[in-house]
Amino acid sequence: MSDEISNEVLFDLHRRMVRIRRFEETAGKMMEDGKIPGALHLYVGEEAVATGVMAHLSNQDQITSTHRGHGHLIAKGGAFDRMFAELFGRATGYCKGKGGSMHISNMELGMLGANGIVGGGPPIAMGAGFSNKFRKTDNVAVCFFGDGASNEGSFHEAANMAALYKLPVLFVCENNGYGEYTPQANHQAIVDVADRAQGYGMPGVIVDGMDVIAVYEAAGEAIARARAGEGPTLLECKTYRYYDHVGVRGMGLTYRTDEEVEEWQKKDPIDQFETRLAEQGILSAEAAQAVHDEVLAEIDKAIKFAEDSPYPEPEAVLEDVYA
Amino acid sequence: MAEAQQVQARTLPYVAAITEGIRAVMLEQDNAFIAGEDVAGAGGVYGYYNGLLKEFGPERVYDTPISEEGIVGLGVGAAATGCRPIIDLMFMDFLGECMDEVANQLAKMRYMFGGAATLPVTMLTMAGAGMSLAAQHSQSLEAWLCHLPGLKLVAPTTPYDAKGLIIAAARDDNPVIVMLNKMSLAIQGEVPEEAYAIPLGKANIVRPGSNYTIVAIGRMMHEALKAADQLAELGIDAEVIDPRTLQPFDTATVVESVKKTHRALIVHEAVRFGGFGGEIAAQIQEDAFDYLDAPVARVGAPFSPVPFSPALEQHYIPNAERIVAEAKKQLGL
Amino acid sequence: MVGKIGLLANPASGKDVRRLVARASVFDNQEKRAIIRRAIVGAVASAAGSGSELEFVYHNDAHGIVQQALEEFGGDIKATPVDSTQMSSALDTISAARAMRDQACDIVITLGGDGTNRAFCLGWQDAPMLPISSGTNNVFPNLREATIAGAAAGLIASGQLGSELMLQQKCISVHIEDEREDLALIDALLTNERFVGARALLKPDQFRSALLTRAEPAAVGITSIGGLLNPVDARADHGLWLEFGAAGDIVHAPIAPGYYQDVGVSVCQTLKLEQTVRCVGPGTLAFDGERERTLRDGQEAKLTISRTGPRVLDVTAALHRAAEIGSFIKPQQTQPAPKTS
Repeated sequence: MSDEISNEVLFDLHRRMVRIRRFEETAGKMMEDGKIPGALHLYVGEEAVATGVMAHLSNQDQITSTHRGHGHLIAKGGAFDRMFAELFGRATGYCKGKGGSMHISNMELGMLGANGIVGGGPPIAMGAGFSNKFRKTDNVAVCFFGDGASNEGSFHEAANMAALYKLPVLFVCENNGYGEYTPQANHQAIVDVADRAQGYGMPGVIVDGMDVIAVYEAAGEAIARARAGEGPTLLECKTYRYYDHVGVRGMGLTYRTDEEVEEWQKKDPIDQFETRLAEQGILSAEAAQAVHDEVLAEIDKAIKFAEDSPYPEPEAVLEDVYA
Repeated sequence: MAEAQQVQARTLPYVAAITEGIRAVMLEQDNAFIAGEDVAGAGGVYGYYNGLLKEFGPERVYDTPISEEGIVGLGVGAAATGCRPIIDLMFMDFLGECMDEVANQLAKMRYMFGGAATLPVTMLTMAGAGMSLAAQHSQSLEAWLCHLPGLKLVAPTTPYDAKGLIIAAARDDNPVIVMLNKMSLAIQGEVPEEAYAIPLGKANIVRPGSNYTIVAIGRMMHEALKAADQLAELGIDAEVIDPRTLQPFDTATVVESVKKTHRALIVHEAVRFGGFGGEIAAQIQEDAFDYLDAPVARVGAPFSPVPFSPALEQHYIPNAERIVAEAKKQLGL
Repeated sequence: MVGKIGLLANPASGKDVRRLVARASVFDNQEKRAIIRRAIVGAVASAAGSGSELEFVYHNDAHGIVQQALEEFGGDIKATPVDSTQMSSALDTISAARAMRDQACDIVITLGGDGTNRAFCLGWQDAPMLPISSGTNNVFPNLREATIAGAAAGLIASGQLGSELMLQQKCISVHIEDEREDLALIDALLTNERFVGARALLKPDQFRSALLTRAEPAAVGITSIGGLLNPVDARADHGLWLEFGAAGDIVHAPIAPGYYQDVGVSVCQTLKLEQTVRCVGPGTLAFDGERERTLRDGQEAKLTISRTGPRVLDVTAALHRAAEIGSFIKPQQTQPAPKTS
């Protein structure tokens, strides 16, 4: 803990955030252009949360995700080609085209799925944490969920059981201020979801979810605590989604003001971080831009791979129902 | 010969056979654990976990909070990451508390992930009426679960089946729900001491017969046998089939029987309307329509919640008399 | 006359990462609401019978802590929100402080830790204050039952007591080259860490130097490091300058609640009021226990200690004085009936 964060870690955090941002912007555009079927819930604006947490995890550590799961998979090491292939519904996708955006997952990376059910993740993450402890590993299960999911009974059951059994679980609340389209003030009588942690017998802390270093530091402490057998933590990250609940459009929405969006965008996690890195002489603006360019080139290749990939054969519909 | 068999045969009640099945699984699978409400300290509300905490210790047998969604989620998360959980849903009626985890997570995770996840979860749950436990502790909800691709479901009717099906369920790499019946707990039957598995998806012809087929789910198998005896007095030689596994369902055995007997009656304790019997009837008419001499008959509970009063409950639960009556109607007797 | 009491509760206090690494107290917002409510009860009780009316002037924080506390009185309390920002950041506290200054509050009750009061003073540096603790590091605010704190505030606002029971605090003015000015009430520390991040100061091997207005051996935080070497209290007209390193004393100090660390101190010297020291980047400046401002390589910050901070009410002295003047003693309405048997 006494070590200052190395430049390698800083570069890694930066790249992970850029990868998420660029992937999501591209995927959103392709959805609007009708090239991606179904519904995409995009992570733009919330990049610092997934990044700051995932930088502490190995492939043996598990995560459960939300509707808004691309960012989590990318931060966990997901490959663009197989992700785009999945969004395109191709046989080469991470789920062979059977999951799509809302169920994107990869077991080898410990990514136990985006989830189409609000509050679907917490019990599963609790179970994975139980498994980590039962199998005597030092792995941690991280559950991402939103302020909206914190009102689901599943969250309460999972939080209670994780604390009861002292499981290596980190509950990361991505509080973006809205449960789908409903502002937080209209869906719960509290503002800090972290306040609920006390009721389960675990610590709850709040961190600025737009500041990747803040998330990295706080998540590092919580994960170290979990690995040491000290039990779960609720880490609430105050963040914001720039786009609508589904799709891309961010401005001119009926349920929030454009001023609010602009206010949050002033705290943009990537801009803010790049400014700091440049000020400190760690990463110049040019070098940062080079990362964006590399990521965009990788996206182009991945889209080509996805477009060239076959659709699943019709008989695949009956495969993978059972082991 | 009969004497020799008596020496070897060991008779156990259904409830003890359940325990033996679970114990066998715990012995052969290091990554199996038990989790559920009151399963450790109390040995389960029906006692079928008795002695397991003592034998396997608190690191493998867990009392959980009264949190059914949490319990199933525990099973899903642990199974996806290398464990073979045995979870207990105290009453099948409590499915309502955990249906998201059962229907949307447990059943679908493998498929949604393109086959990458394996979920060897065994979930034991208690079904059935007959103890005046009224509408929320007496249901048979197999139809809810058999409608969900990704799940398997077995319904053991005898001590022998209870042990063998639990072992088979736990050895299977899919989520399997074991639907137990509370009125069967005291039923005695022969149970071998060694561990054995009854193949999933294989029906059992409990009583062979030549000119009438009764497919009886769960505890109704025993009522069907009594009915078969009564029908025999009328010259009807009924074949009684216990499907044992409802999902996947052994259509072939049933169809083969109907092709031979030309008549079929299905009986289950669940509400008749929309019950699993309708599916079996449809399968029969699809595969053996030309062999049928009469429409397929069905016996099930009336379309009401399970009533409390013994007077009403007695009337509610299907029995041998109702099976015979329905059969006679179908046969024109 | 109408006495004005400012009310401000910081919803963000008592919730940061120090609850994980250290064992800092947790203050949920229900508890903060209850504290504010008790402070109001105390103030109303002490002002009753004084002939003065009380008006509460409050910051309507994003969590509605004060607003909800006031609502529990069902309109019996005169209360007006001030015009303050709703950014859910320290800016809200700063703007509320300015508004309370403009309204000339007789005293302001703040609920938070050192960080909250620092932010308040950025808006109103020499405010008359009664800080109640609900934060992490609580050198500045009183660990005091809110009912009694509120009563003390009511005695001031209703004119029963005067400003002689307030002590103007020392503070550190911070001038950062090319950037906006800043302020610390207890301590300003330069650390090698390059980011503000999660704000907590938990890595003593990264500490470089610190200026303390108070060095309290009986407190937690950076102040304790100096306090355990050379105590300096709030009344002393000097501060303490520390430089860190392995060359000198190793102080085993509680740098956060429940969190003792060995800290090497190579220089420990007193610093008179109005003196200035310099810090040079790269690094991060922490004020009152939290990383706040980053310094670029070569960027300079000047730190000046002076007695220009808030005027803080001594609650114990106030209540003793109240006893002397009989503030809470009511004249008897009727003679007791004589005992008959």
